[in-house]
Amino acid sequence: MTGVAVLTVSSPRPAARANSMDSLALNALLVRVAMSADREAFGDLYAYFAPRVKGYLMRNGSTSSELADDLAQETLLKVWRKAKLFDPSKASASTWIFTIARNLRIDAARRASRPQLDPDDPSLLPPEEPRADEVMERASRDERIRASFATLPPNQLEVVQLHFLEDAAHSEIAERLDLPLGTVKSRLRLAFEKIRKELGDLDA
Amino acid sequence: MRNVQHHPKTDTLADYAAGRLDEARSVVVATHIERCQECRTAVRDLEAVAGLCLEAIEPVPMAANSMADFWAKAGDQELVLPGLPTARPANDVEMETCPPLAAFLPTSIDDLPWKQVAPGLSQYVLEAEGYREGVLRLLKIAPGTKVSTHTHGEGELTLILRGAYRDEVGEFYPGDLADLDDGVTHAPVAIGDEDCICLIATNAPLVFKDLVGKVMQPFVKL
Repeated sequence: MTGVAVLTVSSPRPAARANSMDSLALNALLVRVAMSADREAFGDLYAYFAPRVKGYLMRNGSTSSELADDLAQETLLKVWRKAKLFDPSKASASTWIFTIARNLRIDAARRASRPQLDPDDPSLLPPEEPRADEVMERASRDERIRASFATLPPNQLEVVQLHFLEDAAHSEIAERLDLPLGTVKSRLRLAFEKIRKELGDLDA
Repeated sequence: MRNVQHHPKTDTLADYAAGRLDEARSVVVATHIERCQECRTAVRDLEAVAGLCLEAIEPVPMAANSMADFWAKAGDQELVLPGLPTARPANDVEMETCPPLAAFLPTSIDDLPWKQVAPGLSQYVLEAEGYREGVLRLLKIAPGTKVSTHTHGEGELTLILRGAYRDEVGEFYPGDLADLDDGVTHAPVAIGDEDCICLIATNAPLVFKDLVGKVMQPFVKL
């Protein structure tokens, strides 16, 4: 169900305006949508995220471009409709949109593989919005995560991106990168440890 | 209730955040997380990493008329307004009333049609097959009963709901989660004076190591 191509990741480049936005600018756009259903701000968000969500979905079981278009649009429709639930002090725009896209693809996979399931059957999707009592220091944690993510060694960054963006088993990722499975797992672990150290959760 | 002492491994939380876990495991992790602030924060951290990965992904252009098409669909849709803040259940609420698990229970845990599988051991299998293969079950261990030594095919997640057990790793109380690799062998014994009730997700049959286990296994179908 996954392609053979190794995941390519775009380096930040100032192509279109929508492609060079930083996370604060993205958060600000989403806040404008939340405050006043600002369609122009949403248009910029759409231009940035819809093609990325589509890229994500095409690596996760949406085999045709049309199907991925539909699901990406559905993801962004949810963002539009639920924008008022977005709180930039609790999550960044890209985190929130990732969780929505992830849950949509899980749900699509469930419906595709078990059409006999009753739609009323309970299903478990990880929560998308943080609860009211979630930690208050989220924004500063996100800041530190971003800083340490930017300094991950390329070989760790590669497996972290494959882990989150592509639904291939770790053994499959190992095969594609021509690495032992243990190396893939240890690179992931090292990357997460580095991030946790930066957050002060682990002793250096 | 005491603080949670045993947590999922980072690998497991990273699989949960990426949407890689089967439904049975997701239910176990989500129910633990309801009770565990530390893991809740860790999952949010991992989702933040996932968000950064999404920013860096190679974009795939949408169809030409996508934006206009979007507004045609979105135009008349109602916006969702924030509801009243929902409080997280207090720590003294029973584990089985936590929302992720409660949705999968047809009735209260005391009224379930438990099936005895061995002396002192009953189980109830929950339907949780919506997303990927996995088996979700409740196991009830009478005080003093020892579950025979076993290893796990591809890992087992066990969340304690009531009572307690002790094994080679330590003592497990409600909210604690045992995240066991295929390499680990254990033989839990229920301790205290009430039944120990656990929520268990596996994706492979358990393999028993000793004679009693081997004799019991076909009957127990664990």
